[in-house]
Amino acid sequence: MELSAKQQKVALKINEEYCSSCAACSSACPFEAIKRDPETDKMLLEIEKCQVCAICYSSCPAKAIDIIYYDIHSLTRYLENAKEEYKSDSLVIMCKGSAPDFQDVEKLFGVSNFVPLSVPCVGRIPPELLLKSISPMGIKKIYILACDEDYCRFERGSSITGRRVTALNVFLEQFGYAKELIKLKRNSLKVKVDRNKCISCGNCVFYCPYDAAKLEHGAASFDLELCRGCGLCVTLCPAFALDLEHWEEDRISALISKLPKEKKKTNILVLRCQWSTFPKLEGEFDSNVHVIDMPCAARVDPLHIMEAFQNGIDGVLIAACPEEDCKSQTGSKEARRSATALKKTLSQIGLEERLHFCSVAPRYPEAFREELKQFKVRIEIACSKEVRQ
Amino acid sequence: MIVTAQKPLDEILDFLSPYNSILVAGCDGCTQPPRGLREASTLAQLLELGGKLRSKNFNLRVTTLPKQCDSYLTLTTLQTQIEGIEAILSLACGLGVQTITQVLPDIPTFPSQNTLFIGAEIREDSILEERCAACGDCMLAITGGICPIARCAKSLLNGPCGGSQHGKCEIDPEKDCAWDMIIKRLEKLGRLSALEEIRTPSNFGQVVRPGRVGV
Repeated sequence: MELSAKQQKVALKINEEYCSSCAACSSACPFEAIKRDPETDKMLLEIEKCQVCAICYSSCPAKAIDIIYYDIHSLTRYLENAKEEYKSDSLVIMCKGSAPDFQDVEKLFGVSNFVPLSVPCVGRIPPELLLKSISPMGIKKIYILACDEDYCRFERGSSITGRRVTALNVFLEQFGYAKELIKLKRNSLKVKVDRNKCISCGNCVFYCPYDAAKLEHGAASFDLELCRGCGLCVTLCPAFALDLEHWEEDRISALISKLPKEKKKTNILVLRCQWSTFPKLEGEFDSNVHVIDMPCAARVDPLHIMEAFQNGIDGVLIAACPEEDCKSQTGSKEARRSATALKKTLSQIGLEERLHFCSVAPRYPEAFREELKQFKVRIEIACSKEVRQ
Repeated sequence: MIVTAQKPLDEILDFLSPYNSILVAGCDGCTQPPRGLREASTLAQLLELGGKLRSKNFNLRVTTLPKQCDSYLTLTTLQTQIEGIEAILSLACGLGVQTITQVLPDIPTFPSQNTLFIGAEIREDSILEERCAACGDCMLAITGGICPIARCAKSLLNGPCGGSQHGKCEIDPEKDCAWDMIIKRLEKLGRLSALEEIRTPSNFGQVVRPGRVGV
């Protein structure tokens, strides 16, 4: 049974007891989801507009915003444990959108041993956490990896972080800390093209939501300034002429082939748009549920789904954002279309139940868990039917 | 572009069942939707899964050809890839299947597609639509650039018929009446008078099957 919006638990709430109606949240919110009620002077959150970027959370001077994901307490707890585990006094905070892989962070910042913190948008990190990590936690150097400003999935997350870092560095220096203790870098992951493989079909030119592709001298060419790294063109390229940095065809295939399988349980693979549902900082699911994060559901490739089935995965769940929340414009819509077509083909060999596409938003933190729970049950039934046959 | 639709997997699995080592050959030519390497790989995966469910383990190899309707390109591309191959599954139109059959007569070649028509890709509407019937006697100059042979359900040379309703076709109300479009188009061009002349039956004898021209 689907819960109505009102009954569902929401990810973000304004705590009226603490709120002083300063409207810092409202001016920081990139989605106009918070407004001050002119009559009561109260700050009102329209949860349907909220994308849970938590820029309001990190901007609120009164700690009047309660959030489910990555609140200051769980971030602090995570850092304390991680500092023990990684035995380092360098902290790297990275946006999932621009650095899904720790190895690449090493290349970008030249640090090999560090405490990693990976979050959907660095704009959600309260300055207080950075100060706490320096003292009392004893972090000596903080590296922040953000997306390019115009690439930020939450519009202002990267630019706000830039301003905060500048201000904090000035402040820290005045207090006698090292100069530029916090170092910010920007990085965006974009399409790669092998023009020799291009067959000039024009799919990328038509489908690119950002008009970054064109056919030039008989092959696709991209304006990387415009590319937002959704991966839709890569998934739609019939000739494997395109690839996406960090979400390369082969890299995802390798991840799928290495998934550890539980022998006695059904194995589920979740291909998750990293903006549709946010992972917990520590250990998420049971050992038979595997997750691969995608830059957008548009990068979910039918070929990878087939590979997963070949590799002993019993069910594949695609988690996408609702179309109106999609961070790559048409990405979610095209992903749904592609999944529907694949499901239809799979039905010809009786495997349609093994694939499910769901759209979930982080504003309802329980929505994804509920989808996963129901999918697991369906897969278990489907698998037990097959055994009986 | 030649528009194709994939055959049901059951049908493909049926005719492939006597063989084990199969080459799945995509076509980078004009087939629509594109049936290149990605499509060939996906089909191979589906057949492998489908085969397993029928307790059949195929050994599938995947390749793609620049255009399967070119005998020379097809032979030179394929001849190095067929060692141990018992059958070829083509993702091209009927031309591709027959060209491979001609250049590699010792290996049976099967179609994975039903070839439908010569279609235009109307991207904005997400459709592929028949716009040319390859009739051999083109009358687009007279009909304002809209073909009544391919686009009128009755292929009328003098239209519209009485079944044209509010610009739609009586055979399929989803589709536009070609003659309604022709008249509106000619009106716009100020050439409506061109239709006053009754067109006599077209010379479909221009192309006697099988059509053939020297190059």
